[in-house]
Amino acid sequence: MLDLSPPVSLDDFEAVLHPAFMGGLEGDAAAYRRFLDLIGGRLRGFLRGHLARAGLAGAEEVEDVLQETLLALHLSRHTYDPAVPVSAWAHAIARYKLIDHLRRSGRHRGHLPIEDEALAQPEPGGAASDAKLDVERALATLPERTRTLIDRVKLQGGSLAEAAQATGMTENAAKVAIHRGLKAMAKVLSRRGPRTP
Amino acid sequence: MKTDDLVTLLASDAAHAEPAGFGRATGLVALAGLALSASALLLMFGPRTDLTAAAATAPVLAKFALGASVAALALFAFQRSLRPGRAAAGGLALVLVPVAAVIAWAIAVLATQPMPAWPALVLGRSWSACLVLVPLYALLPLAGLFLLARRGAPVRPRLTGLAAGIGAAGLATVAYALHCPEDAVPFLATWYPLAMAVAGGLGALAGPRLLRW
Repeated sequence: MLDLSPPVSLDDFEAVLHPAFMGGLEGDAAAYRRFLDLIGGRLRGFLRGHLARAGLAGAEEVEDVLQETLLALHLSRHTYDPAVPVSAWAHAIARYKLIDHLRRSGRHRGHLPIEDEALAQPEPGGAASDAKLDVERALATLPERTRTLIDRVKLQGGSLAEAAQATGMTENAAKVAIHRGLKAMAKVLSRRGPRTP
Repeated sequence: MKTDDLVTLLASDAAHAEPAGFGRATGLVALAGLALSASALLLMFGPRTDLTAAAATAPVLAKFALGASVAALALFAFQRSLRPGRAAAGGLALVLVPVAAVIAWAIAVLATQPMPAWPALVLGRSWSACLVLVPLYALLPLAGLFLLARRGAPVRPRLTGLAAGIGAAGLATVAYALHCPEDAVPFLATWYPLAMAVAGGLGALAGPRLLRW
């Protein structure tokens, strides 16, 4: 497989990112997973660089913001404007989530560059690590049935059919429950108050 | 949770996603907001008594044109700001074009008048009503626009709020022109833009608070 960890140029990156994202919009789960992996790797470097400059260098912190951003990207897919590059759309959302995070931790000063250059000069991404507890905490607010279902989906490697069967739901009901669960998690994440250090 | 697990979870929810038609939705909200504002204003204050005679005169047409063009330009920037990745700020600045045109016209009118007549032409008899009622009636379309904005992804909520406030005020201006008895161009070139700025300021203040996501 093509190595797409930075320093791949933004144009080359967009060339593989765009079809994967568009496939995802059509409902192609494999293409969509590829999009999430690609953009996740790229954004990890972007977020790490900015968080380090704000004095928040912990790998868990990076992963927290990354996870919230991925969830936001997922739930905002309908806002993608075909006239702009997918990477610019994703970057604008990541920037919003980053500023939100910095503001909550009292570290936001001035403006972050909105230009694509921030993403165009990739920073070393590094490996994924565990997040702190943000997403976990949001997960804990969901109904137990949905949580069990989500655990199953993780265990089955993303097979909704098997997860649904294991929890005694129809596939359609499982689909709806997961989508609602993700929306509820995003809401919890955006409403949480200032972080206690 | 590991990011990889989250990705697995999100990919399992990869059902077909329909692109949102924010342009169309904004247009519908604007029309509904205009109808509501105009009805409320006509019910509470009634139309100006000479509306049928005045409707085709230049100052009244200018009020409609100013309100409608500001609303169209601001709402175009508004719906754009709901889809991340494009700069909407440049588009919003275009609302200054119709405002500048009306101000230029007002200056031309004042230039033909003796200076002692200027205060009456600028202040009219109802400047405070204009300044209060336009932002007040803008609240109706503004509420609808904010509800719509929550379905989008406003990554610059202050800008989205500002554009919504100015756009709503443009619509309220069209409605208020049915009632407003002032026909001096210097009056409308002063107070209409100020009233729009007040509503824009309200929107810009409310945006970051109400549009968090």
